[in-house]
Amino acid sequence: MIPAIDTTTPVGLILTLLPETVLTIATLGVVLLISARHAGPADSRRAGMATLVSLGLAAVALGWLASRSPEDPGLGPMVALDSFRYLGSALILLVSTGAVLSSLGYLERERLVAPEYYVLVLLAVIGMLFMVNAQDLIVLFLGLETMSVAVYVLAGFNRGNAFSAEAALKYFLIGAFASGFLLYGIALTYGAAGSTNLAQIGAQFSQGELSMMAKLGLGFLIIGFGFKVAAVPFHMWAPDVYDGAPTPVTAFMATAVKTAGFIAFTRVLYTGYQAMALDWRPVIFGLAVASMVLGNLVALTQKSVKRMLAYSSVAHAGYLLAALWSATPLGVAALNFYLLGYGVTSIAAFALLGAIGRDGERDTTITDLAGLGEQRPWMALSLTICMLSLLGFPGTIGFMGKWFILSSLVSEHQAMLAVILVVTSVVSAGYYMPVILSMYMRPARAPRVFFDARLPATAGLAVLVAVLLVIVLGVWPVPALHLASDAATSLAQSAGQTVAGN
Amino acid sequence: MTEFLASIAYDRWILDFLLLFPLIGAGVVAFVPVAKAKQTTLALTTIEFIVSLGLWWAFDSANPGMQFSVTAPWLAEWGIYFRVGLDGISLFMVLLSTGIMPLAVLASYSYITERERLYYALLLVLLTGMLGVFLSLDMFLFYVFWEMMLIPMYFIIGIWGGKNRLYATMKFFVYTMAGSLLMLVAIIVMMFEVWRQTGQPSFAYDAFLNAAPQMGALAPWLFLAFALAFAIKVPMFPFHTWLPDAHVEAPTAGSVILASILLKMGTYGFLRFAVPFFPDVALSPVVTAIVVSCAVIGVIYGALVALVQPDVKKLVAYSSVSHLGFVMLGIWAATLQSVQGALLIMIGHGLSTGALFLLIGMLYERRHTREIADYGGLARVIPMFSLILVVTALASIGLPGLNGFVGEFLVLLGSFGRYPWATGIATTGVIFAAAYLLWALQRILFNRLDKSENERLHDLTPRELIVVLPLVAGMIWLGLYPKPVLDRMDAAAKRYVHLVQPGFERPAATALVPNLEERP
Repeated sequence: MIPAIDTTTPVGLILTLLPETVLTIATLGVVLLISARHAGPADSRRAGMATLVSLGLAAVALGWLASRSPEDPGLGPMVALDSFRYLGSALILLVSTGAVLSSLGYLERERLVAPEYYVLVLLAVIGMLFMVNAQDLIVLFLGLETMSVAVYVLAGFNRGNAFSAEAALKYFLIGAFASGFLLYGIALTYGAAGSTNLAQIGAQFSQGELSMMAKLGLGFLIIGFGFKVAAVPFHMWAPDVYDGAPTPVTAFMATAVKTAGFIAFTRVLYTGYQAMALDWRPVIFGLAVASMVLGNLVALTQKSVKRMLAYSSVAHAGYLLAALWSATPLGVAALNFYLLGYGVTSIAAFALLGAIGRDGERDTTITDLAGLGEQRPWMALSLTICMLSLLGFPGTIGFMGKWFILSSLVSEHQAMLAVILVVTSVVSAGYYMPVILSMYMRPARAPRVFFDARLPATAGLAVLVAVLLVIVLGVWPVPALHLASDAATSLAQSAGQTVAGN
Repeated sequence: MTEFLASIAYDRWILDFLLLFPLIGAGVVAFVPVAKAKQTTLALTTIEFIVSLGLWWAFDSANPGMQFSVTAPWLAEWGIYFRVGLDGISLFMVLLSTGIMPLAVLASYSYITERERLYYALLLVLLTGMLGVFLSLDMFLFYVFWEMMLIPMYFIIGIWGGKNRLYATMKFFVYTMAGSLLMLVAIIVMMFEVWRQTGQPSFAYDAFLNAAPQMGALAPWLFLAFALAFAIKVPMFPFHTWLPDAHVEAPTAGSVILASILLKMGTYGFLRFAVPFFPDVALSPVVTAIVVSCAVIGVIYGALVALVQPDVKKLVAYSSVSHLGFVMLGIWAATLQSVQGALLIMIGHGLSTGALFLLIGMLYERRHTREIADYGGLARVIPMFSLILVVTALASIGLPGLNGFVGEFLVLLGSFGRYPWATGIATTGVIFAAAYLLWALQRILFNRLDKSENERLHDLTPRELIVVLPLVAGMIWLGLYPKPVLDRMDAAAKRYVHLVQPGFERPAATALVPNLEERP
């Protein structure tokens, strides 16, 4: 047995933030590297490689920390030390690596040669890691802002493109608005509970009367998070921003940002507001239903692949909210697993889209994919697998994820939400299947129309790994299911502790 | 034969082999040279069929339970196992699937000229999916196979289909998916009930069967979810509208597989799952009234619509709606004769409708039209084809001595006692069947030979004869001497009738269905 970190010593305390520290130092290293050389594509590529190494180092640090995690964090620490955090961080590092891999060739092709891109990605990831580990609303807010500011810039990274600029501005304005809500919610919660520490808030709320102020604080927090995870009715920014941003950034937003948002959301609700589950469950129920119904129905009407994926990401936020609703360890496990499934599938789907389209892929319609099956069989096969996984077809990770969410709902006797979920999933067949239909069943517009649709080696690696994960975990999900369940149990334990602690 | 099979431990590996072999074969076919794709697939499906034939002898007619069972853990913690087995109901569905497949491949030889490797690989995946549906004894596994066969069919209709194929294939996909996802919810709900009752999660068929009577108020909803999935697949009136589209657009082999095997999955689902799980709901007066009237409407409506079809493929498609109405009637009457009759129609319809689609496909390859009006007087030009078409059509009508008669007779006989009025009306369906098929035969084969294009058609080639003759032989055999078939399905049909009898003590079902885990 590896000895756990001794949190009573200053060194031990620093070690509890080892992945974040390692990544921050590595990011500074990348900053130094690009300030020395930033002229040509080669420098950009070097920065990208350095980013991958940084993410790898952070992953090693995370693994080390997870293996030596102190068992009993006690009451009051500002960062969580449970496997829920470690799994969330691992997910973020995984999908970020995928996004960076698919950026490498894409940026050169779109002539976006600016190595700052990678620094921004790294800064955003640091912010996300703090969001995921935050056991205190102030830490959470700091992480969220660090992430958001970096992602605002990333969304507008294609300076020459008006849609990209629009996306950045829209995201910034609405994001600032959402942060305001969140901060207001934190302030009200502080007023009601007398603390910003989630554990103490939870302990405070679990005893005695709940003030109106606490409920208001909860409401504002839900609105703030609702914006961040793009749940209906707070989703209005998502399609335009996803559409306008460079495709690898869209992938990053749809996967990493969403994961960080959901993990933090879950922790806040489960640790801080567990006692108020009766208050927030109906709200989450409504958000979930609205996101599933609207996201799927609007996605049905989209012609552009990228916009369709944007709306479908709203729908997937709805499925994730349904898992959040169940408020049980099984639900949290389902949420974790679904985040993994949605993350790897989306990384591959967006990387493929980036390789097929041009100029930000806004104009690549579903019918434009006609003939891909014959001209680029492997890319078409990969995209088919991604679409089936998003649809939730057996044999893919998406199916296992949906099955898990449905199980969590049924175990809480919520057949209603389960039925809405499957009915909206049927609707989603109406826009995922036409992608496959176009690729294989419509004749190509011209004999060599996909001549230059090639995946760069790095993006190809990302797609290959992601598609293999989709299939392998779709058939044999046991290791991932265990990780997800363990993480959920650890969250339940730390949340339970809070209640029992006082 | 039995000794030989025992000596090679046939019962231990046969089901694994049947499921895995086509899947591996699909991988092989995807990478063989294009010119060799069809021969390879034909060889693979023929091997599969020959190996599966051993089931005929190895099957123990006296045993009403599941045979050749295999259990292996998949996601064991969540109660999901790879559980497969076979009884007198699934035996014939399995043999039908493996038997139709080589013929479908052979029929595709000249029809499919584009992307052949993909086509034949998909056919093999489809075979695994279909066999999986008939063999699964784990509800999770069943659902996986049920969905799995959708994808190959989606591609087969969508890539190699006719003019309107994109619409047809989307409709087929969405209809089936809509039904089956609700079934998934029902399966999960039942799993949690099993968990609550027995203390451990299990998706096993037996566990579901034992837990089903205690579902209480949930039972009608669960039954509805299952019934919807199966009714769409059957397809039962009024859920049949995807069928004519899919049939007309699909390539010949696709239509054959659709008619012969895929449609049987719906009725199989009722026989195996929906009705035995919830007999009190299924055979309650209200549900019975709805199902039986829909079945009878299906019989009459399918026949009437078939009567006016100008497109001969559509005509046969609607005749399927009509035939499957008889099957539903037989399942709901739940007497020994009616269930045996329903099973016989399922087999017979697989043979005769499959053969009809094959023959239409051959005609289409010669003339590239399916309009009845474009033909006439073919009997003088292509006599052999005409003879076989007449025999097949008569089998489909239900002429005594051919397969259709035995099944329909047994269903009507068995159902009359329960639902005299419905059965009486359904009987007229047989007359309508004679009307639309004979009239179509008259317009295609007889009448005057007044189209010059029809004068120089060539008769069946040896390859085409090899495709249809086994089916014709099957029809005659089933019509003249169905006893060996009836013997083998007897025990399973009896068990079904027992299971769904009102007031039947469920715990006894455990004795009838041997516990899988105990078997080696």
